[in-house]
Amino acid sequence: MTKWIVLIGLMVSTGWVNAEDEFPEVQIVEPYIDMHTGPARGYPVFYVAEKGEWIRVLKRRTNWFKVRTEKGKEGWVKQQDLQLTLNSKGEPVEVADGSFESYQSRSFEFGASGGSLESVPSLSAFASWVITENISTELSYTQALGDFSESRLALLSVTHTTFPEWRVSPYFRLGVGQIQTKPRANLVQSGEETRRNDLLAGSIGVRYYLTQNFVLRLEYQNLLALTERDENEELEEWKLGFAIFF
Amino acid sequence: METRIRNIFLGAALLALSSQVFSQQGPQAEASANANQSVIEPDLQRRDINESNIDSENIEIGVFVGVLSIEDFSSSTVVGASVAYHVNEDFFVQANYGQSEAGRTSFEILSGGAPFLTDEERDYSYYNLSLGYNLNGEVFLTKNLVFNSATYFTLGAGSTDFGGDDRFTLSIGAGYKLLLTDYFAVHVGLKDHIFNSEIIGEEKSTHNIEYGIGATFFF
Repeated sequence: MTKWIVLIGLMVSTGWVNAEDEFPEVQIVEPYIDMHTGPARGYPVFYVAEKGEWIRVLKRRTNWFKVRTEKGKEGWVKQQDLQLTLNSKGEPVEVADGSFESYQSRSFEFGASGGSLESVPSLSAFASWVITENISTELSYTQALGDFSESRLALLSVTHTTFPEWRVSPYFRLGVGQIQTKPRANLVQSGEETRRNDLLAGSIGVRYYLTQNFVLRLEYQNLLALTERDENEELEEWKLGFAIFF
Repeated sequence: METRIRNIFLGAALLALSSQVFSQQGPQAEASANANQSVIEPDLQRRDINESNIDSENIEIGVFVGVLSIEDFSSSTVVGASVAYHVNEDFFVQANYGQSEAGRTSFEILSGGAPFLTDEERDYSYYNLSLGYNLNGEVFLTKNLVFNSATYFTLGAGSTDFGGDDRFTLSIGAGYKLLLTDYFAVHVGLKDHIFNSEIIGEEKSTHNIEYGIGATFFF
């Protein structure tokens, strides 16, 4: 236990010492810059740093930046205010904000969606890897909870985004996976049992770049469960979700 | 500080003058003036800001412990974990997972008859994904001790595994967090998990109310 405390202490202390010099600095060119007590609107301005002063930028929380002045005052500065400062080369400071450009050059996406699978509420989580601007692969897991049964779907799919340069952009997806359907506990006595089937999926959807690093998407998915019976089972799913990209 | 610098500068100027006038040692005086110049205008290496060298703390990870009142099945301790991503100062998305174990219904206790559920079916676990809204504020504990705080509301959906089945669950919550530092917060919260259940006979919508405390770190 003591070993861990020492180790953590060491990590914290060395991290702090090294970090001191590594904080980026910006120079104020407007007459002054407001420093708030907290990272949100409404927090009072308790200090103003003057024109010409260099301030260290310590960290960021959403659209707010924690800064330290040369006199050691620490407070929070709005992103719009920080963008009015200059860097060491005398250029205006630019801090990317998850723009549409950064969306187009994203490499990973994580998200969740909710919807309806054959009129039963369904919840999904997904992770995707963007290979080219048009093509990405995706792994998703869905749970659909009905009155008679519970289904779990795992899918590996490939998505084609036809017009990646559009803010509202349609896409198509094909996937393979498995579906497990488990009857409700009170139906097990009546002879129902858990089934597991292979699954083929085709989707069409539309995605919308919302703000910062957020994307909304609306999707219709048609699923084909390959059963051992004479007929395969066709399922329909609608879902609305969001994704965070990096 | 300023006076001292001025004194050094004056001293240097005087030295330069005197050496110019009295001993004609030009190059040496120039060198000493240069040395003093560097004290006044230090050549600093400043790091410029960009997306990669600024520490973004928008992810909040934490654990919680509390009491969960499972409808018809008495109350038990619940423990869980949560991850939140702060979109802006107002909104966040949050994923929660919690675990508990149901007790016995009053009927089971009074009648002494066969239990409704097996031990395994009494294990209660849930997950949900919620959207939250913050009302930011400050708390003045003493005149000089001030902490930032937030009252927040959450609305979400998920699944509860209880009584041998997974059930679609709506979660409504409210909480209060006190930020002891920029990156560490303590919470108190109240949540209602609503799902349909037919465990004790007829199907009904059950309200399972949870309250507890938690601690979170921002990363």
